Amino acid sequence: MNIEFINVMPIPLAGLNHSKESLWGNSVVFDSKQRSLLNASSGKGKTTFTHCLMGLRTDFSGEIKLDGKDVKSIDLESWVEIRQRKIAVVFQDLQLFSQLTVKENLKLKAELTGEFDAESAFRKITFVGLSDKWDQKCGILSMGQQQRVAIIRALLQPFECIVLDEPFSHLDKENAGKCMQLIQERCNEQNAGCILTTLDANKEIIFDKEIKL
Amino acid sequence: MLRSLLFRHQDKRQLFIAAFGALLGITFLISSVHYLLRVSEFGEDAEILGANTLIVQKKVSSSSSLNLTKTDFSGSELVKMKKESFVVDAKPVVSNNFSVWFETNDPYVPTFKSDVFIQAVNKNFLDVKSDKWHWNAGEKFVPMIMPRDFLVMLNTFMSASGIPQVSDELAMKLKFRFRISDGQKEEWVDTRIIGFTNEISSILVPENFMDYATKKYANGDPGKITQLMVAGKEGEFGKLEKYMNDHGLESKNSQVVVSRLKSIVGTLFAVIFVISIVAVFASGLVLIQYMQLLMTHNKYEVRTLLRIGQHPKIVIHSFFIYFIKVFGSVLLVGFVIFLVLKYFIDGVFQTGGIYLNESISMASVIAILLTFFIFATASFRTAKKGVMLLFNK
Repeated sequence: MNIEFINVMPIPLAGLNHSKESLWGNSVVFDSKQRSLLNASSGKGKTTFTHCLMGLRTDFSGEIKLDGKDVKSIDLESWVEIRQRKIAVVFQDLQLFSQLTVKENLKLKAELTGEFDAESAFRKITFVGLSDKWDQKCGILSMGQQQRVAIIRALLQPFECIVLDEPFSHLDKENAGKCMQLIQERCNEQNAGCILTTLDANKEIIFDKEIKL
Repeated sequence: MLRSLLFRHQDKRQLFIAAFGALLGITFLISSVHYLLRVSEFGEDAEILGANTLIVQKKVSSSSSLNLTKTDFSGSELVKMKKESFVVDAKPVVSNNFSVWFETNDPYVPTFKSDVFIQAVNKNFLDVKSDKWHWNAGEKFVPMIMPRDFLVMLNTFMSASGIPQVSDELAMKLKFRFRISDGQKEEWVDTRIIGFTNEISSILVPENFMDYATKKYANGDPGKITQLMVAGKEGEFGKLEKYMNDHGLESKNSQVVVSRLKSIVGTLFAVIFVISIVAVFASGLVLIQYMQLLMTHNKYEVRTLLRIGQHPKIVIHSFFIYFIKVFGSVLLVGFVIFLVLKYFIDGVFQTGGIYLNESISMASVIAILLTFFIFATASFRTAKKGVMLLFNK
């Protein structure tokens, strides 16, 4: 999945001063298989980046292209295909169903592609230390626990690129490391790229490219 | 799992109220459509006069007996009546102006003979098949429609003669004949019964035969028009009745009673029909509004499902099928209640001597299907609009 940002400027961010290396107002290509880090302080548009990329916002100038196609002209069926099989996302606000259990949240997502493997999902949940939460409703988990569930959910689908919007903001170093390990393994398995947004440069994880916002 | 997610924020009380409103509306709608049809059909098969048709005559009073007032209709009176908005058509009833003798002419029954009174009316007023109701000079027999009272009298005679009485079907197979004469010359004409009537007291014959006999055997005076055949508009019998009262006209009591009853009951069910249409429409709107409210309450769930890759069609389908099931159940229960109501309402009519066709009218079934189709279309469009508004949001 090739992702191109061509002179993109979200309208709400147009009045801000952006650095010369900023993604906003410049042309940036996220090559497939490449691991990119988007590093920015609050209010610089990390979540806007994710939403614009996934077609959830169109209030920007310039062009965003997915495999050469402008996101503003992508049809419904193609968006469904992209969200099910091409780009996996961990949203900043996680977008979990609080009334469903961890298992149900994972199952609901995995069933979209018909690839739910309860054993594999449970293994991943166990790896990130949540095996005892398997049948608990997500609404009663801590933010850190919910972040881990959201990451595992994103990993259950096939993808060519995974976009993670501040996925470790509530995780300690050990759990963030475990999650990153799972993400890298899954990317390797599928030959997929990764775009991770963060408030600070994460020195423990090596990325191919670091982009400022 | 998807259903429990999408229908979590439900106000069941509101749903119940909307469904109950729809149930009442549907029950009244089916009932009113059914009885509107059945009441308008009432009596159509049993009688030979067309729907909403009356034979009217001037009331006979003391003054008319003394020849102070006329009991016949003038040409201008006929024209005036035709012009009334509630009158479909009016034509004179032609009576014989010559003597008619009627007798049995069949070896299987004893001879019965009597002077009779015959009349002819325009065939447009009669609900008989035209291939049976015609006569031309030289044809084998004259078709006639006999007053049922006449058959009762004939059976009384049969019974007194020790002969089995005849049914309607058998009477229609017997041979009869007319002797028509002007006192000097005479002619015998074979005749057969093709139907019976409770509405007319004389024997009805085709207009052609009446014209033929009048030309040949009448004394030359133009016959007076003492009766008119009047066809009123459906559901406007009240206006015709008022006109008759205002102009000193009357009709056979049973005809008036049936027409009045049909008019009143028809109007009553028409009112219920309109009210039930409004009730179904209003309750359907409440159900649709409930669906919109449900989607608003579950906005997060719908939007999140779409964001993680759920196809909008699946979400639309979930809402659509749920409300189709709710409305389908309402229709089904409404239909069952209608059947129960029908049992009692038919009983009430029968107690009053009115035997309506008891089969379920096709119009009621069509009303159910049409209502279901309209609701299904509206709910699908609402679900689609609601879900698509959240796609890419």
